[in-house]
Amino acid sequence: MSSDVRFTDFKSDKQPTWCPGCGDFGTMNGMMKALAETGNDPDNTFVVAGIGCSGKIGTYMHSYALHGVHGRALPVGQGVKMSRPDIEVMVAGGDGDGYSIGAGHFVHAVRRNVDMTYCVMDNRIYGLTKGQASPTSRSDFETSTTPEGPKQPPVNPLALALASGASFIAQSFASDALRHQEIVQEAIEHDGFGFVNVFSPCVTFNDVDTYDYFRDNLVDLEEEGHDPNDYEAAKEVILDSEKEYQGVMYQDENSVPYNEQHGVTEDMSEIPDGAPEDAMDLVREFY
Amino acid sequence: MAEDLNWAVGGEAGDGIDSTGKIFAQALSRAGRHVFTSKDFASRIRGGYTAYKIRTAVDDVQSVVDRLDILVALTQRTIDENLDELHEGSAIIYDGERSWEAEIPDEITAVDVPLKSLAEEAGGAIMRNVVALGAACEIADFDVEYLDESLEKRFGGKGSKIVENNKEAARLGQEYVQENYDLDHLGYSLETTDNDYVLLNGNEAIGMGAIAAGCRFYAGYPITPATSIMEYLTGRIEEYGGHVVQAEDELSAINMALGGARAGARAMTATSGAGIDLMTETFGLIATSETPLVITDVQRSGPSTGMPTKQEQGDLNMALYAGHGEVPRFVVAPTTITECFWKTIEAFNLAEKYNTPVFLISDLAMSVTEQTFPPEAFDMDAVEIDRGKLVDDDTVGEWLDSQGRFRAHAATEDGVSPRAIPGTTDGAHMSTGLEHDELGRRTEETDVRVQQVDKRNRKVETAKEEEGWEYREFGNPDSDNLVLSWGSNEGALVEALDYLEEDDIDLRVISVPYIFPRPDLTDEIESAEDVIVVECNATGQFADLIEHDALTRVKRINKYTGVRFKADELAEQITEKLSAEVPA
Ligand SMILES: Cc1ncc(C[n+]2csc(CCOP(=O)(O)OP(=O)(O)O)c2C)c(N)n1
Ligand code: SF4
Repeated sequence: MSSDVRFTDFKSDKQPTWCPGCGDFGTMNGMMKALAETGNDPDNTFVVAGIGCSGKIGTYMHSYALHGVHGRALPVGQGVKMSRPDIEVMVAGGDGDGYSIGAGHFVHAVRRNVDMTYCVMDNRIYGLTKGQASPTSRSDFETSTTPEGPKQPPVNPLALALASGASFIAQSFASDALRHQEIVQEAIEHDGFGFVNVFSPCVTFNDVDTYDYFRDNLVDLEEEGHDPNDYEAAKEVILDSEKEYQGVMYQDENSVPYNEQHGVTEDMSEIPDGAPEDAMDLVREFY
Repeated sequence: MAEDLNWAVGGEAGDGIDSTGKIFAQALSRAGRHVFTSKDFASRIRGGYTAYKIRTAVDDVQSVVDRLDILVALTQRTIDENLDELHEGSAIIYDGERSWEAEIPDEITAVDVPLKSLAEEAGGAIMRNVVALGAACEIADFDVEYLDESLEKRFGGKGSKIVENNKEAARLGQEYVQENYDLDHLGYSLETTDNDYVLLNGNEAIGMGAIAAGCRFYAGYPITPATSIMEYLTGRIEEYGGHVVQAEDELSAINMALGGARAGARAMTATSGAGIDLMTETFGLIATSETPLVITDVQRSGPSTGMPTKQEQGDLNMALYAGHGEVPRFVVAPTTITECFWKTIEAFNLAEKYNTPVFLISDLAMSVTEQTFPPEAFDMDAVEIDRGKLVDDDTVGEWLDSQGRFRAHAATEDGVSPRAIPGTTDGAHMSTGLEHDELGRRTEETDVRVQQVDKRNRKVETAKEEEGWEYREFGNPDSDNLVLSWGSNEGALVEALDYLEEDDIDLRVISVPYIFPRPDLTDEIESAEDVIVVECNATGQFADLIEHDALTRVKRINKYTGVRFKADELAEQITEKLSAEVPA
């Protein structure tokens, strides 16, 4: 950790192939700035990415990283943190990646409360596969696979997190750069699983949930005087389907992260040259 | 006078059959006798028939046989299930006061012991199995004090009162038989020795091997018969700074393990066939991202949910071919319980030396069988750890390109690239399941694609040359009759040699612990007249490989009833096969 780390140190030399104007640019920049701002550097950071346009983020960032299979980024991130409490772990993926194929993992990652940050780049569509409905698509949103709309209510990821016992729930908007960075920073600093749903517009396939739409409709919870430690208030904003919010909705002040709960404190990469000194005790147990 | 004794306890699942058997097995082990156990159980917690069988001798025993000398029967079904294994010298211990009328064949000695009443006298009906153990000691002429030691071990944690009550229960059982029966004519007398033995099963050996090898992170999802590896590690691995996590499913388990491995921990997951199906999704990612990971498959009877509590060796093809695309891997299959220990250690070394996933495939028979060994069989001083090309802050420099970027997938001559773990200065890099260049960056360039595919495959070629892919050999090395086997069949085969010797048949037995890469057996096969491949599956998956390698047809012995091979049964089948035609 050094104070002279700049956010550009987290940039790889690969040029993003995202469509010009894609929300993922802003999402990624905020994440890199938040990492640098919280005192991390590429050598102590592990970024796990899912599959989708969103998942390409791992390619454009520079750190220890794994770009995994569709929907399984969260388990990888948890495995890294459980075995290396000294490493900063950040996981990113899309709404399809996280709430569809990976929905089961999401619920369990939330309840395990491993000390890491999860940013979902929510564009309410499948971008990489060219515009099919995602779990967060509106029920009347017409796509190539749902010509009349999915005709089912969208998943409310914040509510899913709340119901799963989340200790930190937030939402941000890729284009509101400063607020997005601040919110991700709070998620990183949170002791436990920091979940941020990031509105990250797809300019190519989603003409409903656009930059303009979010700019016009987004309500900032901080300005509203929302108290994130107030569970009932959090419930109210999270279940409010009339408005779109940004800010930290909920934070459990008493959050105890997984590693602490389970007494997992050692760097597991360090092992002896041979069997541990007292390993013969393992054999004697079978007398 | 029988040289070895075959003993069993049977009843309903939930009757404490397992712990009763284990207590007796441990007592025998502590008396310096060899023990080999087997379990017969149904996939139910209550209401199914279960039995725990023990074969014990002063000499090494490595298999089960079709004979029972002393049977503790808690139900009529126990007697019915084992009728064909009982003989004139057998004794059945049962409780005549129980509601069922035991139907015991005339030639078999019925030993009616009021198990429940005596147990109540000692302090509680729950100890009726221990009363039966006391009775069994008397019949077998085995010193009940060894049983005391075993009871102390089992119940010590629950307080001295419970231990004393159990000892009393055993005494009452012993005395009852002493006073009411004269069984000297059965002729059992269990000799004891001063030898020290440990008693453990294959899954325990895998778990112990994993800890010895430095495995510190285990992620798994419960499934029979792999769960006991997870249960073993839980509560033990922490002592060494490790952690076990029960994931939400196998997809998660293998991805967590992958995370642990990329973070630099020696990591493992274990499951059985159905779980491997789910893990297969991530398998290609592990190979392409060049992550060292040990994936254990304790095979059970498939396909689908098959027979979850029954033996089979049907997943060999899956271990060899799992995953879309072409994926380099190692497949290691221990052949005995001690080999479960050593091959687990080797699996971790192979994984890290070659940055490759390793399938460690065991089977149900090995996982539940307990066997005695001298403790030196698990000599921890002999454990060697090889972490491969793991770089640190000082050595990472050798692997940076001109712009200071870490070449995590450097196309080296031996196919093995360096490995930097998080925290290593300048080692930061991305790994991906996408085809990538030396730096790990996505590519679709034809020459880079070919370079990386060749590089990954080259590791296997290097390993073929560098590692000793030996086999284990038994019997007469000059025999014309060659029998090949893999997995847990080895013990039964080795014992079958004795049976065959009585008929003047000799064999050369080769037991192969490596499926991929595997030893080249062409010379051995060419110098034999008859080649028989023995395995617990219907189609002969290993035999197919042998035929492919040696370009010849072999004879096959396949068993897929769900029950492991027995030595006497194998001897008979081998004799038959030797005189049969080679399939066209
Ligand atoms: C197992 C598997 N199934 C399907 C796919 C194809 N696929 C790639 S990305 C994707 C959806 C991505 O959507 P989302 O997570 O919303 O990300 P976005 O591209 O919108 O950022 C799918 C279905 C895949 N790669 N793997
Ligand atoms: S398709 Fe949509 S999500 Fe994907 S890069 Fe283009 S704008 Fe972004």
